[in-house]
Amino acid sequence: MWWYVAKRLLQTIPVFLGATLILFILLKLRPGDPILNLAGNKPVSQEVRDALAAQYHLDDPLFVQWFQFAKNALTFNFGETFAGQPVFDLIKQTFPVTVVLALMALTIDAVLGIAIGTFAGLRRNGWFDSSALVVSLLLISIPIFVVGFVMQLVFGVKLGWTSPTVGSDWTIGDLILPAIVLAIANFAYTIRLTRTSVAENLSADHVRTARAKGLSERLVIRNHVLRNSLVPVVTYIGINLGSLMAGAVITETIFNVPGIGNAAYVAIQKGETSTVVAIVTFMVMVYVLMSLLVDLIYALLDPRIRYV
Amino acid sequence: MRLSRRTRLAGVAFVAVGSLTLAACGGGSDDKSGGTDSVITVYGTNPQNPLIPTATNEVGGGDPLDNLFSGLVAYNTDGSVTNEVAESIEPDAAKKVWTVKIKSGEKFTNGEAITADSFVKAWNYGANPANKQLNNYFFYPIEGTDDIGNTVDGDTVKGLKVVDDSTFTVTLKAPESDFPLRLGYSAYFPVPESAYGPDGKITKEFGERPIGNGPYKLTKSGWERNKQISLEPNPDYDGIHKPKNGGLVFKFYAGGGTDAAYTDVQSGNLDVLDQVPPSALTTFESDDKVAAYNEPGSSFSSLTIPEKLAHFEGAEGDLRRAAISLAINRPEITEKIFNNARTPAKDFTSPVLDGWTDKVEGNDVLTFNAEEAKKKWAEADAISKWDGKFVVAYNADGAGNKEFTEAMTNQVKNVLGIDSEPKVYPTFDELRKEVTERTIKTAFRTGWQADYPSMLNYLGPIYATGAGSNDGDYTNPAFDKLISEASAAEGDERYKLIGEAQAILLKELPAIPLWYQNATAVTNKDLNGFEFNWKQKPDYYKLTK
Repeated sequence: MWWYVAKRLLQTIPVFLGATLILFILLKLRPGDPILNLAGNKPVSQEVRDALAAQYHLDDPLFVQWFQFAKNALTFNFGETFAGQPVFDLIKQTFPVTVVLALMALTIDAVLGIAIGTFAGLRRNGWFDSSALVVSLLLISIPIFVVGFVMQLVFGVKLGWTSPTVGSDWTIGDLILPAIVLAIANFAYTIRLTRTSVAENLSADHVRTARAKGLSERLVIRNHVLRNSLVPVVTYIGINLGSLMAGAVITETIFNVPGIGNAAYVAIQKGETSTVVAIVTFMVMVYVLMSLLVDLIYALLDPRIRYV
Repeated sequence: MRLSRRTRLAGVAFVAVGSLTLAACGGGSDDKSGGTDSVITVYGTNPQNPLIPTATNEVGGGDPLDNLFSGLVAYNTDGSVTNEVAESIEPDAAKKVWTVKIKSGEKFTNGEAITADSFVKAWNYGANPANKQLNNYFFYPIEGTDDIGNTVDGDTVKGLKVVDDSTFTVTLKAPESDFPLRLGYSAYFPVPESAYGPDGKITKEFGERPIGNGPYKLTKSGWERNKQISLEPNPDYDGIHKPKNGGLVFKFYAGGGTDAAYTDVQSGNLDVLDQVPPSALTTFESDDKVAAYNEPGSSFSSLTIPEKLAHFEGAEGDLRRAAISLAINRPEITEKIFNNARTPAKDFTSPVLDGWTDKVEGNDVLTFNAEEAKKKWAEADAISKWDGKFVVAYNADGAGNKEFTEAMTNQVKNVLGIDSEPKVYPTFDELRKEVTERTIKTAFRTGWQADYPSMLNYLGPIYATGAGSNDGDYTNPAFDKLISEASAAEGDERYKLIGEAQAILLKELPAIPLWYQNATAVTNKDLNGFEFNWKQKPDYYKLTK
């Protein structure tokens, strides 16, 4: 298995190079001039412009910028933001809150999604199943920012149950509302995936065998239905953690969560190429490692899966 | 390899410990400033540049800097000035050489005395292009700099001379009677000797933790990146902005910020939000959870038509510009689109300024008049037949830009019967890049927020020949002459000259005035002392609760 892990880790190198190159090309295609942004509406002299462009390598050819970035990244040197903060510090500072937010969302998503999905799957076409399907359809179709603003208004402003925004002195309690909002979009898929998976397994051969052996219904469901049903669900949820972190931009903006999504958004607005690339690359790496972790968890759920 | 039971457990443990560790990273939130009720939390954004007076030109860093430093003069709420660090600022007879004397006993918060050098060295540093200071543009009136404020010949500005410890002189390129008005702006703040490193450059540490001489100083936690900047009163400060509160916290809102900040004011988590988000503009004045403020402000919006645009030159151009201006129904747009958060323009400056009047000669061209507009357009057609379309460029990242540009081009289309449409640029810098490189082929929206409270600051930098922000390349020697005469004049004479200069602009319309942006704000209902200053900012030192 360790060889498998090593192999997977080695695979991250081309992923890193490819992802950063694509990012550099995309950002290069963005028109506009970050220096003008930096200067607001005031005129900038050519000398100052040139000096700043040189400092942030804005005028270098694309490949030179990319090569420079990749080389520096090896030593965790991701350069500085326009405000003079090392990008690595920015990530270190903003990442934890995003991770906590994502993990909370994931927990809500997994616990509720799997519970409701299983229940619906076991009693297919019953009233519970039907209403779960309708509700999940509803949740899928409402845009996340609508859910966000409505929940903020209702629970934060009107009812005052929780702080409507998170801000710098964030606590786990502040993050509950944004985490629920973040979880909602994925939650609907988790329900549906679990339901289908459970339903399929109920009529599988090994379940029939288990029943035939005279095992109690509880044991059948726990050991033979659920365990097998969870394989696709775990894949989905695991990969989700990566996308939850990346997708937190909207939620973080609505609730003013000082996370990495927010930081990326601001950097894109200002055209800070190196900052954007560094943050996004970091997210890509998290994503890659998450999928590795998911693959390893597979083996825990399904002994037939081997890593050689 | 098959996973043994032990490895499996280890895997589970690894995942569990991983999540716990990550969760623990975030748990440690700071102590909320220990029970001092009088600390006021205000809306802010993370500064984009190090906090160095000559490097900061945006509000995120500008607002804290204005409170951390005080300049030679300080602005009163109405925009008039009072000497602050300066004992006196006296011109020679020609108003070209200004002698500045500094009060004795003034200190930075680290105990260092403020001397003539604290200013001269900082200004030289700011004007030297090698130092990449974004505010170098402010030094352009001083002799020894080029049009854009860079030093020429060497590293120091020729027009700055230290006479003795507490005196220095500033020689200007041209006479200017309102020179002292400039000096309260952050680019002119003093910088202590300890700011400079051994290489003569202002250090990174200083940019992180500036040492000032203003009403406030940084608290121990100071600038926490992407979180907040906390200030506490400076006990040694004795200027006109003496803090009435126990400190200020600029709480940062990134991304779609003002919406979240508005919600925070409603729920009592934030005391002051000095710009109401577009989503709340229709409701904020009737919202019983907040105290609302809405009054005409100092930023001016216009539509610039470049001089080189076909059909917009010479006599034909004057007629067409006037026709377009007459075709725009300003009150309708300010009411329907901006919910009265804009005030229709009557001139090229701002009603908050000293000397402003709504009776500038020729300003009836700013009043909607469809008949007159059609007539002028027909007269222009007689000179040279109109072809093509009238396109107005705007940047989509500014609130309301899309809506007003669409409404405006529609009005032009309906009144003049010509093809007119908006052209979108996703971001401000994309639009500005084409404008500064002069590659833009259409009319475009423009705005101006003054650097110091003077009507001349709205006219000179934008419409004078070759001026730094003359985006349309307008040139008129008669206007230039009036502006430089007004610069040297004082009192009624000065305002008369400014009026004449504006009359020229209203005739030739290098830019079509649209409206003044109102200053809007919401505050916590318990907050007292809120008042807008000329910069559309609250005077932070006055706030109490």
